[in-house]
Amino acid sequence: MTDLSLRTELFPTGWQTALARAPRIVLKPLPLQRSLPATINIPLRQAAIRTFGFSFPELPAADLGLLAPRPTRSPQRGADQGKSPAAKQTTRIKPPQDIIKLQDRLYYVLQPPLESLTGELRFPFQPFPYQLAGIAFLFPRHAAILADEMGLGKTMQAITAIRLLLHAREVRRVLLICPKPLVTNWKREFQLWAPEIPIGVIEGNQARRNWQWRQPATPVLLANYELLVRDQQIAVNDGLHFDLVLLDEAQRIKNRNSATSQVTRAIRRTRSWALTGTPVENSPEDLVGIFEFLSPGHLSSNMQARRMGLAARDYILRRRKEEVLTDLPPKMFRDAELDLTPEQWISYREAEEHGVVRLTEMGDELTIQHVFELVLRLKQICNFDPAGGSSSKLERLRADLEEVIASDQKAIVFSQWVDSLKRIRAALQPLPVLEYHGKIPARKRDRVIDQFRNDPSCHLMLMSYGAGSVGLNLQFCRYVFLFDRWWNPAVEDQAINRAHRIGASGPVTVTRMITINTIEEHIDQVLQEKRELFETIFSVAGTPASAGLNQDEIFGLFNLRMPPRKPRAAA
Amino acid sequence: MSTRKSSPVPSVGFLTVVDSGGGSFLGGYLVLNASGRPLEFQCTAPVKANRAQEILYGPTLHPYLWGEQIGGALISKSRTRPLFVCTDQLHTLAVRSAVDLPVIQVLPASPPPSGPTSERKLTTTPSSESAAQLILGRYSCALSRSHLNDRVPVERAWKTHLDDLHLREPFERIREAITEAQRTAAGPASGAAA
Repeated sequence: MTDLSLRTELFPTGWQTALARAPRIVLKPLPLQRSLPATINIPLRQAAIRTFGFSFPELPAADLGLLAPRPTRSPQRGADQGKSPAAKQTTRIKPPQDIIKLQDRLYYVLQPPLESLTGELRFPFQPFPYQLAGIAFLFPRHAAILADEMGLGKTMQAITAIRLLLHAREVRRVLLICPKPLVTNWKREFQLWAPEIPIGVIEGNQARRNWQWRQPATPVLLANYELLVRDQQIAVNDGLHFDLVLLDEAQRIKNRNSATSQVTRAIRRTRSWALTGTPVENSPEDLVGIFEFLSPGHLSSNMQARRMGLAARDYILRRRKEEVLTDLPPKMFRDAELDLTPEQWISYREAEEHGVVRLTEMGDELTIQHVFELVLRLKQICNFDPAGGSSSKLERLRADLEEVIASDQKAIVFSQWVDSLKRIRAALQPLPVLEYHGKIPARKRDRVIDQFRNDPSCHLMLMSYGAGSVGLNLQFCRYVFLFDRWWNPAVEDQAINRAHRIGASGPVTVTRMITINTIEEHIDQVLQEKRELFETIFSVAGTPASAGLNQDEIFGLFNLRMPPRKPRAAA
Repeated sequence: MSTRKSSPVPSVGFLTVVDSGGGSFLGGYLVLNASGRPLEFQCTAPVKANRAQEILYGPTLHPYLWGEQIGGALISKSRTRPLFVCTDQLHTLAVRSAVDLPVIQVLPASPPPSGPTSERKLTTTPSSESAAQLILGRYSCALSRSHLNDRVPVERAWKTHLDDLHLREPFERIREAITEAQRTAAGPASGAAA
């Protein structure tokens, strides 16, 4: 290759120097727009928690015997029939509706189940669950009726509730009022169920009673209705106050105008309890009478039955045997429908014809008393012929007793009349027969019962409805004979349930003697219809039923009409 | 240090929390003597966690709310110092960190331990993840893992004073009392209707 012979000229430009020099960097700050993130405060502190609380008094348990050693329990109690009552159940005290204050309500709500008390208090027998429920019912109440059917242990429930209240120091002084024949029974039951509680019985002459009423250290005073009325000056007007007044057989005060009712209502007291198997004997008015003692004005006579039942519901506890004692031996009724003997028929027809004619002739002068006298006369003839003493009922009784004696059982015969009882006794000689009625002195009655219970040769006891229908425990008897019928089925039930009750040793056979085509049959029909009517009414309201004859019905026995009332003379 | 008085008689506290609906809870605290009779009852107004607590406490919300907050408030208000406190809820066991009393959880009924119960033999079983177990008579109980030393005073109190006490039944009483208090607060009409 040949070089081009071109002429070149070089000129310094200075660029090379510039290229050899390091570039100059100029920094210029450029501010960025930015904002701080927003933060929020999330509070985690819990607001102050509001509380409310109550303290309850601590009881000195050791002083009260609550921690006493447990008794050896009897596995048998007659009617238990192998059942383990109260096992695996809890019975809690619930406050009644009339307790308003929360602290008072919670005091009851927070009490331990009653079952746990069996570990603290001495019980001769394990109570049945329904009995614990009855105790839980009574315990918090200031006004209560325990109206269990006869034989379910109202006495035991009341005693245990009183015992718990005394131990809890909720009551310190209790007045218990019962019919006179039952005083001994109450003493015995207290000894059994609350042996640590001293009982004072109001009895003896006036000076002694005056002293007894004023014994403040006796926690339970026991008085009978008759003495209470006699001692009303002290019981009512002497500044005495009782924390609890308990009326047994409270149907005694159903008539608000009676002296007994007035005195019991006037006793100063904090709590009022009533025990009765028959709170309604004749009409709902009976219940109003009892409520005048419990909570005056709470019920009134013009209330309809349903409304009355609802108003009374929180105050009354009523259980029937068939509801709670499914293991109780059966009670079997036999209606012995008998013909009068020929002699009795003659006397009966004569008395009836003569009596009805006489009643009819009386016109407006006729009173309930006149009719009543005729009814009684006819009923007596149905028992025994007044002339010769013959009796179809006695013949039947004699035959039945042979069976009772042969099977080594015991029987009770009830009659309205002591005279009939005495005739029966005379007719059954030389059979050993015991009597228990109003003409047996009170001090001898306990001995009669003891002999009947313990003497194997005594198979029969004759009792009047009045003396023997309430409070006695004769559950060793298997046979009951109603030689004549009482006016009121409730009283008959009471009588029958002397034998058919907790601890009954076996089935109880009740023989109701009714002479056919007589006044007895007529009364029986009326009572049966009435009982069914009351059952219907009160089963709605939850209150118990029973019913006797009223005036119209007694007049109706002879197809008579009650004459119009004469206007009262102006006062 | 607590200013509460020690009870003059041996006593045990029972603490439980119930759901009152709407995310609210009510706490009840019952102190019983050795016979099971009430000495004191404390109850809270309804307590509700706020939304933040629900989110941030997560699974620890109930131990915090039932144990530390409700349980702590109830026990601190009580005037009686029991020998120990029982609860029937695992969450409420967390109250132990807020109080200076032994706390145990009474576990649901389970078959009794082998051997005669009459001897009241106290035995322990291996602890689980969250709690150590202990047997008081016929009751299986749990202790907080962080307070295993509670075992000694609880066992001692049980043996000395309390071996007849029912440990499950009182929670029913608390629940009934809370219901009663709510009913009363709602007015007499609702009480009457009950």
